[in-house]
Amino acid sequence: MTFLTSNVALLILTIIFGFVAYTLAHQRIRSHVARDGVKAHSLVKYYGVYAALWTLVPASVLALVWAFAADPLLINAAEARLRLAYPSLPPSFLELKAAQLQNIAAGFIDAPDEIMAAEAAALKESMNRVDLARVLTLLTVMMIGFLFAFLRITPQLKARVAFEGFLRRSFFAAAVLAILTTIGIISSLLFEAYRFFSEISMIDFFFGTHWSPMVSLREGTETAADEAVAGSSGSFGMVPVMLGTLLVALIAMLVAVPVGLFSAIYTADFAPRKVRNVIKPALEVLAGIPTVVYGYFAALTAAPFFRDAGMLVGLDVSSQSALAAGGVMGIMIIPFISSLSDDVISAVPQSLRDGALGLGSTRAETMLRVVLPSAFPGLVGAFLLAFSRAVGETMIVVMAAGVAANLTINPLESVTTVTVQIVMLLTGDNEFDSVKTLSAFALGITLFVVTLVLNIAALHVSRKLGQRYE
Amino acid sequence: MDTSVEMMSDSKLKAQKVNVFYAEKQALFDVSLGIDEKSVTSFIGPSGCGKSTFLRCFNRMNDVIPSCRVQGQILLDDVDLNSPKIDPVLLRARVGMVFQKPNPFPKTVYENVAYGPRIHGLAANRQEMDFIVEDSLKKAGLWKEVSDRLNDQATGLSGGQQQRLCIARAIAIGPDILLMDEPCSALDPIATSIIEELISDLQSRFTILIVTHSMQQAARVSQKTAYFHLGQLIEYGDTKGIFTRPQNEQTEAYISGKIG
Repeated sequence: MTFLTSNVALLILTIIFGFVAYTLAHQRIRSHVARDGVKAHSLVKYYGVYAALWTLVPASVLALVWAFAADPLLINAAEARLRLAYPSLPPSFLELKAAQLQNIAAGFIDAPDEIMAAEAAALKESMNRVDLARVLTLLTVMMIGFLFAFLRITPQLKARVAFEGFLRRSFFAAAVLAILTTIGIISSLLFEAYRFFSEISMIDFFFGTHWSPMVSLREGTETAADEAVAGSSGSFGMVPVMLGTLLVALIAMLVAVPVGLFSAIYTADFAPRKVRNVIKPALEVLAGIPTVVYGYFAALTAAPFFRDAGMLVGLDVSSQSALAAGGVMGIMIIPFISSLSDDVISAVPQSLRDGALGLGSTRAETMLRVVLPSAFPGLVGAFLLAFSRAVGETMIVVMAAGVAANLTINPLESVTTVTVQIVMLLTGDNEFDSVKTLSAFALGITLFVVTLVLNIAALHVSRKLGQRYE
Repeated sequence: MDTSVEMMSDSKLKAQKVNVFYAEKQALFDVSLGIDEKSVTSFIGPSGCGKSTFLRCFNRMNDVIPSCRVQGQILLDDVDLNSPKIDPVLLRARVGMVFQKPNPFPKTVYENVAYGPRIHGLAANRQEMDFIVEDSLKKAGLWKEVSDRLNDQATGLSGGQQQRLCIARAIAIGPDILLMDEPCSALDPIATSIIEELISDLQSRFTILIVTHSMQQAARVSQKTAYFHLGQLIEYGDTKGIFTRPQNEQTEAYISGKIG
């Protein structure tokens, strides 16, 4: 029995078991009620669900743990045997060999020599044995779970309460899982960043004004010591990269805030219903365009346009100008700003508008003097969220912004951004644990902190809005 | 109904055959009545009877609701408010309105009162504005309580104070008429009695129309009362008469608490 067929069979069997457990429990509670003449605590279906859950959930959890734990254990054992068979190979090659072994065992590739063939056969053999053990264990666990639940089913059993408890724990588990994932990602970032900062000083990284991680590699042999020297001489200074990021994001905001805010004002308070019903979906279409499409719009249309326009008036505009990337990014976040601002403006109570109109304000006066000032904190929150999005945006700048880290705030020149640098550093044939690659994680954690601070500030400011309407 | 038409000749405000529709649904049917100058007139009736809708006809606040249509004539000093020549913005400067829930702007106390005079250009300088603000707050009976915190946020005032601030805000632009849409429904009994006293004080300067759910309030503050039911004006006359000798059995049933 192969792994796949055994799993499919197991799955089908599990489903059948679930139904059987449900039906048997159902019958048991009915016969109990009929025999004893008492009323069951819960609806009969809850007893069925109770038995089905006891049959399925413990077995599923075990299957999940097994899937993560069993194979790595076997492969580790195989790797240990390989180390004995090939004593001269370095550890990284042994890992490759072990991976190769799995592929041979699965029948994807042929064995290069006899040792590998024998080891693969042994691995396959042990995997099959473990697999059989797994199927049997799971079936047993299902049976035990079922019997445990089945025997407890009496009219006194609070099946509904138990089901409620199960649901509550499931929701809790989902929430914890989401948080754990986030923590996992952040800690891996932190760990790699820590490795980076053990080679490059934080002061050089955060305050250095020269960024050229690629150059530092070309200068000499690729040893950590050389990189460290190159780094400490200023190659890993993130100031120009961060400055470029902020410049591009700022240009994006200059485009998106006026257009987004004004269109939100229009759709929220001025547009007749019919017009609103056209404009809002149209803006949402803009939000649905993949960023890569914006990217080549920026690279192929906007950037040449700005360069040619610059030439007409005698300005030297780079073909990868911050202006083009930022401008297109601004178009991308218009729907974001207009949709958030629309929500904020619509949240201003109608009673305030009525009050202003009742005093003889025109609609524009009502908007400018009452509604917008009331909505101000919420709007600032929306803008901060949009800014944090612009800072983290990747695809447009990868395609349209430059690679060279120029220390400039001139929007006509080419700048690079944090996200572009991370992409540059982590794609291509790079050794994964070089200082150069590690610097991507330092950039990543910095970017994360910046956007986190922006988001927290946005939340904090928006929360004031609620207080003002009491 | 004949009596009300007779009374109309010298009325400040006159409604003639007013019909109001929300989309297809008719909310008011042929309502006609005349309102005396410098008096308090109350509109009573069960929820959804159209009394608030009728009130909002007098400053064209129904314009704000897109689906709302008003037919018939509303005459203020014999000029039809619904004629295209009337600018609702200027009209609302003459006909102030106080709403059900206190709705001070999220600005300072001073700025709330100064808002109307400012948009209508009523004060040439800071002294004049200071005078208008102080005068309006005094008329609204709020000056003593807030004179030392004019620069505090208005939303920090108590509910009753907020509602009096809204009254001050409305009278700061010097209207002839004040519309009050259940001005005490969100207030406690003490704040309510303060506002009721205020309404009696204001009566010497303004023509006041008040919608209320409380029949005791109508009896206490108004000289005339109109009873509405399902969009119809059922009975209109002296408050005393309405409450002691209602002519219509529906009015009697409502006043005596049998329906409502």
